Amino acid sequence: MFDTKIGVFGLISDAGPVVLFVLSVLLSFSIVSWAIIAFKFSYLRKSLKESRVFLDFFFDVYNVEKVFTESERYKHGSLPKIFRSGYIEYQALDDRGNIRQAKARISRAIKREANTENKNLSTLVPFLATVGNTAPFIGLFGTVWGIMTSFHTISLTQSASLAAVAPGISEALIATAAGLAAAIPAVIGYNYFTQQITIIERDIEEFSPEFVAALLNEP
Amino acid sequence: MKKFYLWLVVAAATHAVVLCAAVFFQIWNAAKNVKPKIVSVTLVSLPAPVGGTQEVSDGEGGAEESPVRVLATPAPSPAVEKTVQQPAAKKPQQQPQQPLSPKIVVEKSPASQPANNQLQKALDRIKQNVDQKTSPPQPSSVSTLNSALAKLQQKVQSAGTGNGGASGSSSVGGGGGKGSGTGGPSKSYKAAVASIIQQNWEFSGILLKNSGGMAVYVRINILPDGTISQIIFDRKAVSEYLNNSVKKAIQKSSPLPVLPKEEGSRDVWIGFEFSPEGLEK
Repeated sequence: MFDTKIGVFGLISDAGPVVLFVLSVLLSFSIVSWAIIAFKFSYLRKSLKESRVFLDFFFDVYNVEKVFTESERYKHGSLPKIFRSGYIEYQALDDRGNIRQAKARISRAIKREANTENKNLSTLVPFLATVGNTAPFIGLFGTVWGIMTSFHTISLTQSASLAAVAPGISEALIATAAGLAAAIPAVIGYNYFTQQITIIERDIEEFSPEFVAALLNEP
Repeated sequence: MKKFYLWLVVAAATHAVVLCAAVFFQIWNAAKNVKPKIVSVTLVSLPAPVGGTQEVSDGEGGAEESPVRVLATPAPSPAVEKTVQQPAAKKPQQQPQQPLSPKIVVEKSPASQPANNQLQKALDRIKQNVDQKTSPPQPSSVSTLNSALAKLQQKVQSAGTGNGGASGSSSVGGGGGKGSGTGGPSKSYKAAVASIIQQNWEFSGILLKNSGGMAVYVRINILPDGTISQIIFDRKAVSEYLNNSVKKAIQKSSPLPVLPKEEGSRDVWIGFEFSPEGLEK
């Protein structure tokens, strides 16, 4: 008998172009954020797992050749990658008797690989921080704009009743809600990945000298 | 990076699925909580219909004559005066049985006999007037006169039977010629409906800066049992407050009095115009 409200999506359909633009930006932010979260989560989990397994093998087996062969199985782990780079540099040495020079070259190779690995680990994560910081403000911009338009419409309709004011404000607040919906997972993801990356970096820092020592002390 | 693009596609698809699910959920929820087509507001106590309903006209024989005759009496008793004043006051929450009470009072009063005489005298006067105008009486004109008189008598009687207090007063005011009870049952019903809706209309013109040019044209569909089955806004006002107040007033007024028997068993459409100016009058 009486007309029914369609809900939030009905309000979105009535929203102005600026609010719609803000909402589409926030939607794209949210999509990219979730893609980064999923991608990084799987990548870091694999890296940590493989590094852990490789370290166990490394401390069990003293033969560098065998360790290198085992490290070939781990494509995503940071520590196996670093060990491989060190081993390749060690194999490339012309004069293995010069321990000082060999150590310097292997250390340099390991450091270079560690840097590359750190970069790989941190890729795309800053975008999460950006979304977490800016999405609420973008949403707030949409809300402010929507309320501005709403008040303008109220002045045109010449009615100050709640029934006239509420729909416009409700429509405008959707932008803030969308901003928060995009920002909250991004912030959570950013904090989690930062912590995981810190753990891996600490491992790299800690075990790199061990690798150098293992390569130089090879029987 | 290829894996990241794959995740990007997955995220986009997930967002699309979530949005679609939310839309479907809202539609489903709206469909689940949809208001029934027929609204029955039992809390509203309805006033008696002005034009006289079937219950009133189906009253006992003694009660049929009394209202008109007594109201036409030049010097009625205090009880009769009360009956005349009651409809004029137009109380918003009248009980449906109230219009019957004056009849009972009048019926038992000794003033009912002079009322009959008065009616008879009025009929005689009309007859005399007609006789004077038609001086050379011819057989055909006499028969026409008789039939006219019979019709007039029927009208007067039906005005007495069909009307409550309100219509009775109007018919007497017009010297028995107006006959609002028989002449326009639909009009009187419309008036009753309009008064009910207006009484339920909660609207303050103060909230509007400018009330000029704000009018709402509404059509309502009334079922034979008086329930409002549909509200159609032919033209809405720019103020949503006014539109909502009209909608609420109509919703609050359902069910309306039962449709007069003349309308049959089909539903009727009645149109209204709501404007802030009208309210301020």
